[in-house]
Formats: sequence, C-alpha cells, structure tokens
Amino acid sequence: MTATLNKENIIGQPIDRVDARRKVSGAAPYPSDFDLPGQVYAALISSTVAAGRITRIDRSAAEAAPGVLAVLTYDNAPTLADPPTNALGSTMRRPLKDDRILHYGQHIGIVVATTRAQALAAAELVEVDYAVEEPVLDMDDPRARVEDNPFGMETSRGDVVAALADADVTVDSTYTIGAETNSPLGLFTTVASWQGGRLVVHDTTQAPSFMRKALAVMFGVPEESVRLLIPFLGGGFGAGLRLWSHTVLTALAARVLDRPVKLVLSRPQMFTSVGHRAASRQRIRLGARSDGRLVAIDHDALAANGIGDNLPSPIVAGTPSAYACDNLATHERRVHLNIPYTGFMRAPGAIEEHFALESALDELAGRLGVDPVDVRLRNYADVHPESGKPWSSKALRECIEVGAEQFGWSSRDPAPRSTHDGDWLVGQGMAAATFEFYALDCDVRLTIDRGGNAILRSAATDIGTGTYTITAQLVAELLGIEVERVRVEIGDTDQPQAPQSGGSGLAGALAAAVQDAAGALTERLARLDGRPGESFASLLDRHGLDELSANGHSDLAAAAEDSDVAPAGAFGAAYVEVGVDEDLGLVRVRRLVSVIDGGRVFNRKTARSQAIGGAVMGIGAALLEEAAYDPNDGRVANGTFGDYLVPVNADVPDIDVTFVGEPDTFNPTGSKGLGEIGIVCIPPAIGNAVFHATGRRVRDLPITLDKML
Amino acid sequence: MSDIEYVRPTDTSSAVTLVAEDPDAAFLAGGTTELDLALKDRVIRPSRFVDIGRLPLRGVTREGDRLRVAALTTMEELAADPTVRSRLPFVREALLLGASTQLRNMATIGGNLLQRTRCRYFRDPAVHACNKREPGSGCAAIEGVARMHAILGAGPSCIALHASDLCVPLVAMDAEVELLDADGTRRVPLTEFYRTPGDRPDVENVLRHGELVTHVVVPLLPAGTRSGYIKVRDRQSYEFATTSAAAAVQVEDGTITAARIGLGGVGTVPWRAWEAERVLVGAPANERTYRAAAEAAIRDPFTVPGTAFKVELAKRTIVRILRTVTA
Repeated sequence: MTATLNKENIIGQPIDRVDARRKVSGAAPYPSDFDLPGQVYAALISSTVAAGRITRIDRSAAEAAPGVLAVLTYDNAPTLADPPTNALGSTMRRPLKDDRILHYGQHIGIVVATTRAQALAAAELVEVDYAVEEPVLDMDDPRARVEDNPFGMETSRGDVVAALADADVTVDSTYTIGAETNSPLGLFTTVASWQGGRLVVHDTTQAPSFMRKALAVMFGVPEESVRLLIPFLGGGFGAGLRLWSHTVLTALAARVLDRPVKLVLSRPQMFTSVGHRAASRQRIRLGARSDGRLVAIDHDALAANGIGDNLPSPIVAGTPSAYACDNLATHERRVHLNIPYTGFMRAPGAIEEHFALESALDELAGRLGVDPVDVRLRNYADVHPESGKPWSSKALRECIEVGAEQFGWSSRDPAPRSTHDGDWLVGQGMAAATFEFYALDCDVRLTIDRGGNAILRSAATDIGTGTYTITAQLVAELLGIEVERVRVEIGDTDQPQAPQSGGSGLAGALAAAVQDAAGALTERLARLDGRPGESFASLLDRHGLDELSANGHSDLAAAAEDSDVAPAGAFGAAYVEVGVDEDLGLVRVRRLVSVIDGGRVFNRKTARSQAIGGAVMGIGAALLEEAAYDPNDGRVANGTFGDYLVPVNADVPDIDVTFVGEPDTFNPTGSKGLGEIGIVCIPPAIGNAVFHATGRRVRDLPITLDKML
Repeated sequence: MSDIEYVRPTDTSSAVTLVAEDPDAAFLAGGTTELDLALKDRVIRPSRFVDIGRLPLRGVTREGDRLRVAALTTMEELAADPTVRSRLPFVREALLLGASTQLRNMATIGGNLLQRTRCRYFRDPAVHACNKREPGSGCAAIEGVARMHAILGAGPSCIALHASDLCVPLVAMDAEVELLDADGTRRVPLTEFYRTPGDRPDVENVLRHGELVTHVVVPLLPAGTRSGYIKVRDRQSYEFATTSAAAAVQVEDGTITAARIGLGGVGTVPWRAWEAERVLVGAPANERTYRAAAEAAIRDPFTVPGTAFKVELAKRTIVRILRTVTA
C-alpha cells in the first residue's frame, strides 16, 4: 500500500513551528548548551601567517600554565587517518598533518584546560616561529595554480562562436563578487567525549551522517562507534556542510585526555574556520536576434579555492538549463589561494551564476530595447534545454507574470534615470531563477505506539528552517492523526541515515522517505484487521502490541536517472525597487516582491519565512557583505559583526512573498526544495534596479557606496 | 593567566585613587570597548579595573546657556532631555543615529567620548605593526584593508578613526570636558582634549593616568540657529559613519552670520572644520558657498587607496548638511 498526499488537511497549513515554544523559552538545546560531567575546555592555536612552515613550536609555557591538561600540535599529536571524500565530493586536509601553513587562521594546535579562561590564556603562551612565505592571495597572481574544468561539468551545445558572430546584438560583460561568509548567529561548537570506546559528538553540523563516516575513518573506529547529535543548530547557511578541523581536534583532545572536551569558536574564528563563499569572476557573452531570442550564451567562471582544497562547488552548472538557447558553452576554472577554506554558502554557485546571467540579460534587454520581462519570456525553456525532456513541473512563467502584476511592473518607465523622489533616484529591476534539482538518498523509521502517537526518527537536521514542523505535518497527514500526536526525533546519527540539510534537497528526500514509511506502516496496520473508525491505540491494544514500526527510504537521484521527465528544482522571480542617493552613493531597497514555484508547499508559514530570509540574505549579498582579506598577510580584516555587515531590520523593506505552481510530478510528495531559491534572484534584481535608477551598471558585488560615487 | 582585579567603588574620589595608585589600573568605562579590548581582543592588559558604574555621576543640569552632563548619563537619557531636544537638536540626532537602542540604553556619554578606535589592526594583537599599540612598530592598516579609516589628522604613523557620532556636534559646539584627579578639577575644550596621532598614536588625549571625565559641558545654540546631523553609511542602522557632518548655522537676509561645522568618519579625532566655518561666515547661503566650505574643510587629506573615496564623499556630505539646514 502506498500513502499519498491527495489531501491537504494538515500539510501546507501555516501552523506554528512545533518547536517554537522550546526555542523562545530557551529550552531547545543548541550545541553550546551541552555540558557533560567532567568536561574540560579547549582553545585553538591559530596561525598568524598565511603561508610558510612552522620552524619552532614551544609548548612549555602553555603546558606549565594553571589548569592546562594538554597542548596538542603537529609534532606531538597522535596521527589520524586522512578523512574520506564525502557524498558532496568534499574532503579536508587532515588537521595537524605537518608543519605547513596554508592560510591565516589555520588551526595549528589545541589547548585543553580545566576552565575556558585557562585554555584561552594558555593558547597565547604557545610560541610559534614561522618560515614565512609570500602568500598567494590574488586570483591574478601568476604563481597561483589554476585548474581548468575542475568538476568535469563544462558543457557545450551548438556552435557558440558562430552564433555570437551572427548575432544581431551581443553583450560581453564581466562580473565579480567578493568573498562572503555564512555568518550564522550560533558560534560553531563541538562537545566531544569518548564513552566506552565510542565517540559521541555534539557538533554544529548540517550533515551528521557524513560527519559520522568521516570521524570513524579518521579515528579508525567502526561507524557505529561514532554518534553525532545535533537537535538544534543555531544557523548554518551551508557552513555546517563540511567537516572542519576544530571538530576533529576537539574529538582528538577528548581521546587523548579521555574526558569530555568542549570548544566554542569565537566570532573572528568563525570567519576563518567554517568556510565562506569564494570570491569569483565571471564573463558572460550573450548573443541575440533583434526580436530578443537568445542565439548564444557563453559563460566562463573563475572562483577561488584554498591551497590543497578541492571543494566541488561549480558556478556554471545551472546555466545550460536556464533558458532555451541552441548555442551554449560553459567554462569553469578554479584558482588556489592562501585563503581560509571555502565552503558551501546558501545557493553556492547559483548566486554567482544568476548574478552574472540575469544581469547580462538585463544589459541585453537594454540594448535590444525589449522589456526585461519579455526577454525572459521569449527565451522560456518549455522543455529542459539539455535533455529535451519535459520538466517535472515548471511555473517560472507564472512566477514572472504574477510578480510583474503584484509589483506593478507595467507602469515602469523603461528609461534609466526617469524617476526622482527628492534626493533619490528610483529604479526598478527584476530577475528570474531556475534552481537545479538535487537530492540524496534518505532513510527514516516511523513508529506508532499504543498511545496512538507516532514517532518519526531520522539523522536529518533542522537548521532552523522547519524540518521538525513539516515532518510532523507530513506524518500527521499521511497517518490521519493530529500533529500533536507526532514526535519527530532527528539530529542523531543513531537514527536512520539522512542527507545533509543543504542543496535545497532535504525536505524532498525526507518527505519521500516519510511517505514510503507511512505506506509501509499503513500496510502493516491494515493487516491487523481494524474495525471501521478504530483508533491506532485501540488496534494495537487489541493485538497486544506496544508499537508497530516501518522503515522508509527514498533515492530520488537514482530515480531521476531513468525518469521520462527532467526533475525540476524550484523556480523564482523577484522584482525590486531601489532608491539611490547619487551624491552620497547610498542604495536603499524600497520594495521587494518574490514569487516562488516550490512545488507543493508543506507549510506556508515556514516556507514564507524561508523566502523572506533568502531575500534578506540576498540584500546582504547585493549591498553589504564582503569578507576583506588583508592583501599582505591574508588575515580577514573585518572578521567581527561590527565590521562585516549583514542587513539589519532597517535595511529590509516589506517583502511580498507569493507561491505559485503545482505539486511536482517527479517527487512523490510533490515538493521542490525552498531553502535557496529565495536568495538567488535578489542580487541581480537589485543590480538591475540600480542601473535603472542611475544608468550605471555596477558589476561588482557588494554594491557599496564607494562604488556608486 | 593574568587575573584582573575588579573593584566597584561608590564615591568618585575613591575611584580616582584606585586608578592613580596603580600604574596598570584602568577605569572600566565605555564598557563594551574596555571589556572587548581586555578580555576578547586582549589588546589592553590592566591589572585592575575600577568600575565607575556606581559613581554618582548621572543626570543633566541646565546652567544658564549651558548644559552640564554627568559622564554616566546614558545616550538615550541625553537624547530624551527636553533642553537637548529644543536647544541642541543636532546633538540629539547624532545620539539617535549612533549604535542601537539597546546599546544606547547602556552606553554613557563619558564612554562615548573615550571610545577606542574600531581599527581592526589595532584590535588584533596578532598584527605586529600598530603604532597605537606598540609605538614604533609601524601601521599595518596603511598597507592593508583601510576603508573605515581617517583622512584628516592622519599620517604615516596612524590612520585610526575616532568613530563617535556624538562628538561631532559636541566639537562643533565648543563643548568642554570636566576632568577630576587627585589634584582637583580642570576643564578642557573638547577640541583640545583629543590628540592627533603625530609620532605618538598611543597618546589619544590629554588625560593623565587616574584622571576621570566627570562631566561634559555643552553651550546651547542661540535661538534661531538651524542645526542638523547627517550620517552616511552602507547599512541603514547600527554602523559607524563612513562620513558624517554636524552643522549649525544662522542666516540673515540670505547671508550666513554664524556657522559651526563638525565632521565624523574622517578624522583621527572628532573634527572641527574651522576653515569651512571661516568660508561660510559672511558668505551668501548658496550652493557655491557650501561647496567652497567643503573644499576648505577637506584640505590636505592623508589618503590610502581604501579611503581615497572619502575625500569627495566628505565634501558632498558637508554640502548636503548645509543645504538641509538652510533649506
């Protein structure tokens, strides 16, 4: 028997988060809230140069300091195995591997003491001498190693060179984006303990199943001997998608001391320890006929990566599926610099791709004298441009049209510099987005107990987006019980494995697994010959059963391979109005309309919050955020919240969010991920609005006031 | 591990003695800055913190045409003061554009005056070259990421900015600070209180060790004066000024008869634009005059690539505030 979502009694309803009370009352345990009996505290020793070798490291003063229990550096720490490559294709350089320094802030040791203050004080006493090398920090530095096509994802179709030559109108523009940091509010924390040969880690991670595997390999224990616990995360935005060295070092210190060890990163350490969106430079060449039809897209991307790192984060992967265009080529290069490791930051690659492509389309629209909306619609990809298969769902047209209607786009004067409001020039811009389908396999276990309550268990995490809530809604809908009767136990690798919360892929994969489990459980319950209207509690009681369980599994990526349709990710369109005070260089967002096709929406309230959060983060990417590296020593020169600016409430106008579209036909629950679609349209829409306001095209993010003068 | 002794006296003379008697003691004042610098950034290493939070130094009193503000008065309290509202409106504007409501409810006027620079090179002891921390060690900011740095009063030794908003109208008003130490009380004009870096960037003001700011005395604006404060920044709230300007002018029959101009976001100290004032007084209240005043204000800036844009931006900021207050 299969369970299907043909009704929306509970699913889709904008119910409050099931964990809301625990969060607002302080009862929800975040990683830094965990304290274990006998726990001691760690502090990191970080390199203060960006490149070179350690020539001397003197631990003696630190070891003699009050309360100090251990000081581990590369030359005295037990050797670990190299970590494996995880399902994202990401690995890391083993911490304390040798004397090499690859970036400023690299963890070169860990100090453990009885109190946190003692550990921090002792960390300062470790004396380190370096043979300093001149770091490679500039993407154009001739010493930098550059890889061509590092992900094997470059594509081409048709003849882009000939098509560009024959085009009526062309655009050739280069777009750059500064490095950005994820900057979740919660400081990343590891509380590690070895309990009877078993490593138990409370860790800020979005990928507990990956972490378990990696830590097991590194510490040479079976996977079952590692348990990751992360019931609440404190924000991640992708920062929790890699294995980071502070986690490994804390687990190592706990093993050396055989005591629980706790480490909480400082805010400046967050800027160098848990990844960032790499700086990038993209060149886009577009060719079009005078009627606005695209004949050529050539997209070249160059992005930074750490030395010896191999983060698989392509930028041009989505370009081939964005628009109908017969001639297309993508090129990708990766340049290795002495910068802190990069990571996956919300909509990795897609932000970059859309800023370039959707800005270039706006430039093309201007040259053609065609409305930017019409350029998108005239090149609409009715079928998947690469495979030719029909989309599993696609309401991008509705996103664009509904957005235009809600925003009042038709009354826009297309001429730049056409609208004034006091000292302000007012401009309006838009952008559209096609997000790639993504999913990994997922397992869950669903149980119904004698009290008639359901328990759903999985190693999945809730990064604050509402996984607890939508999972409870799904179970309730599928089993026909009340939400209050569903308990969701996630964030624990002793539960069935689950993919990371990332890539907008968890909700779809988890929901499909929940549906599978609900089908199996319903089938088992049906075999118990229930009486009409009989409750689960009564049914189990009558059969003397304490509980009944079923496993559920989904593997959407495998199913996608031989599907007749092209599985779709989410689609979106955004319309933005900005004011620009040209004299003073100020750019302010005045209005923002975001329309999203996310397939079936599991909870309209948490989904709307996702879209709003994405828009706010998009404003930050467009106007404020840039991690600045010192050009001489490679340190992050603005690694605090006072210096690295994220948007505050005053920067955020009312955001009008609308969902359009139908349940997706590929995903059995009809959903498409919503985690990232809300951010990708915002930077190009703002850049396009700034151009409309002023006639100036800023192709370098963030658009800070100095760039407008 | 270096322990810091913490004392919290309740009378002012004890507080002064407790700092004066120990050369490594410091007032715990301007709370966030001192605690950050000592405990988080580890830039200062006092042996003793003398918390002045319980001293009887709170409140605003009117003394004729002046306002006497006790040092522990909070930013929100001063902003809400009726005399400030009516007779020093640009002081109120500067206060309310600073920090955030939460901080303003805690932050004091004395602390605001004595806030330390936000220069990240100063605040990171891992950076060796900082003349403000280690005289003679150099300045990493000049060769580094310098956007929120000074162009006036700056030089090859230091470009660290004084980031206060409040001080900008206060220097324009010729405010004075009252200082107390074991030898008694003295008054120093705010324009002479701060020291530009010169060859001693570590010496930021004329305070002696153990000397405490007890009050700020602010003359009131004459009736009929128009004043305003403008703060230019990327983020709309909770960010230090990229540039800012305070202006108070009197105009009679189209001619400027009095002018006071202070600048923020550009100086190693809160900047009084004397030259701009000289251009303005006696000149017609028009755009040309404002631009001439702005040119005079930003003469001989010391810039690095990251701060070069501030030269023109500061001028436009001055023009904008003059246009606004004379409108």
